[in-house]
Amino acid sequence: MTRICWWCVDIVARMLEPDERDAVRGDFAESGETSGQALRGLLGLVLRRQSALWRKWRPWLALLGAVAPFAILLSLVSRRMAQSSAVTSWLYLNNWDWTYVRNTGFRLDFARDVAFVLFGFLLLSCWSWTSGFVLGYLSRRAIWINGALFCLVLMTVDLLGMPRFLVRSLLLSRADTFSANAVVFAGAFYRQVFPLIVHTVLVLLPSLWGMRQGLRLAALPLPLQTTLWASLALAMTTLAMQNLVWWQVRTWYLEPPPLPHLPSLAPLAIIGPLGYILVTTIGRRWSGYRSSRLSHP
Amino acid sequence: MTIGEFEYLLLTAAARLGEEAYGAAIRQEIQGATKRRCSIGALYTTLDRLETKGLLKTWMGDATPQRGGRAKRMVRVTAKGVQAATAFYDAVTRVSRGVTWEANRISTRT
Repeated sequence: MTRICWWCVDIVARMLEPDERDAVRGDFAESGETSGQALRGLLGLVLRRQSALWRKWRPWLALLGAVAPFAILLSLVSRRMAQSSAVTSWLYLNNWDWTYVRNTGFRLDFARDVAFVLFGFLLLSCWSWTSGFVLGYLSRRAIWINGALFCLVLMTVDLLGMPRFLVRSLLLSRADTFSANAVVFAGAFYRQVFPLIVHTVLVLLPSLWGMRQGLRLAALPLPLQTTLWASLALAMTTLAMQNLVWWQVRTWYLEPPPLPHLPSLAPLAIIGPLGYILVTTIGRRWSGYRSSRLSHP
Repeated sequence: MTIGEFEYLLLTAAARLGEEAYGAAIRQEIQGATKRRCSIGALYTTLDRLETKGLLKTWMGDATPQRGGRAKRMVRVTAKGVQAATAFYDAVTRVSRGVTWEANRISTRT
């Protein structure tokens, strides 16, 4: 019990600034407090610190402007992408025949469909990362509350579904409501498990990673910073555009459009997040390499 | 600059401890004097508030083995802090003159 309590103390202490965390943990060790007293005291401190943070505008902006809209949009787009890729994957897996591979037309179709699905997944990850990044940047230390709410909305919308009135007002297209796809979604795997995997791996994890990176926004030169924020804004615009585009697809009873007909700005949504990840990773590796060279010449 | 009761207690404890003023020691000093529990939340948020007001200065000190190798948050009362604490003490002394508990205190001392 004591060990669990101290473990909780360590977890809760992460919500404090590193210096304060060190000082408080040291004070507990020195004054010989029990784990229960320490946990109670620490929760009090964290509560005071969090309430002080919420007296500023940034966490509120993040909460109202990012948490609900981003989480709902991502959930919707994730569910839709999971369903359309479920149909593609079912078609190929359930009708696979090696003799098809000899057919050039099949090979081209297959390559196009795989590219379409992979591109969609990459796009979804980038949108999720960007949402997390913006949320982390705006929330700063209030990310513990905003991040938890974001994940809660993400999972609630995905597991419980959207409220019916919202579904109508957003005019959502869903592959599982199209009668021709009934056979695909008859099984629990494509109906529930596959969307949940997509949601967890391509939305939840990249969002959490983005939040972490948004908190530690690297000190970039002004032109790079401007480019980053412009590309992130573009990424979020393309995410918001998804409903409109899919609404059109639904209205005209069209199949999901192939790669070249995707919203023309969508590929650009990938550039910002990927560029930032690449620049910061290379920068970190390079500084690590330089410091190791300096310490062992 | 006006201060509250707890702020006064904290400034006084820090001033009494001098070079040895840091989080845990101040807390112990306050608890010893008031016979009341001083929460770590109240202590650290008040330290921040007083530092913002310029009444004290804090910095991270050395780590000791008895603290599990963790650093202390050292505290020093500034001249402005001394002034604010003096003003608070004077006000309490003035306002207490002639009231029953002050008279009792004097009779207990003599």
